[in-house]
Amino acid sequence: MRRTSISYTLSHCVKCLKCVKACPVSAISLVDNRISINEDRCINCGQCIKACHSKGLVAQGSSLEKIKDYEYTVCLVPSAMWSVCKTIEEAERLYYAIKQLGFNEVIDLSPVEGQLKHETQRICENLENGNGIAYFCPAVKWLIETNYPMLLDNLVPLNYASEVKAKEIRRRENGDKIGIFLLCECEAKLALAKEPYKNLTYQVDHALAIIDVFPAIREHLKDGREKVRFCRSGLQASNPSVIVQKQEYLVADGFDKINEILSMEEFNLLDSFKMLYLFPCFNGCIGGHLLWGNSYLNRNNIDALTGEENVPTTDYPIEDLYKEVASSTSDSRSFKEKMEEFHKVNEILDHLPHYDCSACGMQTCRIMAEEIARGNKKLSDCRVLAASKGKVQ
Amino acid sequence: MSVIYEKIYNVERDDYANAGLVSSLIKQSLRTIGISPAVSRRVAVAVYEAEINMIIHAYGGTITLQISDDGMIRLIAKDKGPGIPDIEKALTPGFSTASKKAMELGFGAGMGLPNIKRNADEFSIESSPAGTTLDLKFQERE
Repeated sequence: MRRTSISYTLSHCVKCLKCVKACPVSAISLVDNRISINEDRCINCGQCIKACHSKGLVAQGSSLEKIKDYEYTVCLVPSAMWSVCKTIEEAERLYYAIKQLGFNEVIDLSPVEGQLKHETQRICENLENGNGIAYFCPAVKWLIETNYPMLLDNLVPLNYASEVKAKEIRRRENGDKIGIFLLCECEAKLALAKEPYKNLTYQVDHALAIIDVFPAIREHLKDGREKVRFCRSGLQASNPSVIVQKQEYLVADGFDKINEILSMEEFNLLDSFKMLYLFPCFNGCIGGHLLWGNSYLNRNNIDALTGEENVPTTDYPIEDLYKEVASSTSDSRSFKEKMEEFHKVNEILDHLPHYDCSACGMQTCRIMAEEIARGNKKLSDCRVLAASKGKVQ
Repeated sequence: MSVIYEKIYNVERDDYANAGLVSSLIKQSLRTIGISPAVSRRVAVAVYEAEINMIIHAYGGTITLQISDDGMIRLIAKDKGPGIPDIEKALTPGFSTASKKAMELGFGAGMGLPNIKRNADEFSIESSPAGTTLDLKFQERE
């Protein structure tokens, strides 16, 4: 169960249908002249936000005001966030400035990310046959659940760095009273918290979008610095070009490319690889939509930061790193019911123009046919059919 | 048992540019229907190998997808020749007669037929100079 981190503003929307067409999981439609996002399908990949030119769709995090709700607060910072810093001094200024927002503790996640990276590699190296799919990006996991259910068994069952750390914090004395915040570089990670999107299964309380809190951070950047050192393995885990260099690992970034790779994997064409590392964003997490700057420039910064004193990875017990992966999506329909629905939809589809123009508000004619089969739409709602009918009369 | 769905796809000889297209369409249909991931994966792997075989070895042909009311998924890959001279050899892992061009493109590792056989619940093959027919069956739970 997850909820979408994409929010919609009707007054900004020009109904261009770009988001409807861009959605890789057909979660978006235009219903009653407004965009509707199917929460069960949305994978928070942000493709719709990229497609939207009118700010109709945005990803927002919790407000900084929420810090006041807790006696003690911790801010978790994923390693990709540091990539905006050119030097260790800039990183120390950023670290200091984040703390000035009102947090009692600011925790860099790179040591946890480093341990997860090593553990992922260990799991994959020990697979007897086939390969493992590593997902540091939650959108990859959700994409596989939605579009590539055949590959669920290949997912490496490790948890997200933010969750591993948050669980450890919860085990502290008074852990329940601590407010845990996660600074996010992309819309997918915004969904890994209880708030603001009510994803209640996570240990993190609030997800903050870095782009929203940056003005507040900026005010403190010149005020001071506080010592912080990073874990090289962890910083590398957020960047496909340096994450691993090994013949039997396949690393790919970019949404189209990872889709190609997942399609090939379904045909067992990648069996010569032990592990697939997939990043939907170009240049991995440092290319997250909510981070400012150019990800190619930021990529070089990571090298500058890892040149300094290296912090070792965390050393959590292995069991603390694991997370169960759903073995199969729940489709309770019988084979007979599935075939009956398929036939019904195909029959309706025969009457539709197959243009996939989205003018009706649905992404494709097939989805329109499914909606007609469910009784939510009528054949006459098809704009193309309506137009040609008008002509005949 | 009766066939409740059938679709026939054409595969052209030497059409490397579209290699995997028919397999992708079939895979997509199975996902749309909601066939279980485990069965879909076996069908996908087998149909891909069959399609590639047809492109690199045969003079083109057709792949037919049939679904029966008892949950039987059947693939019939029928090509127009030139036939397989020694089927037993062709079923030996690693044995390949692929052209240099096919090998350069990464095909022709000699695992095609063995892979198909391993993934299908039922496998039969008939071959003559007039063509080869692969008949594959996969059982989805009802």
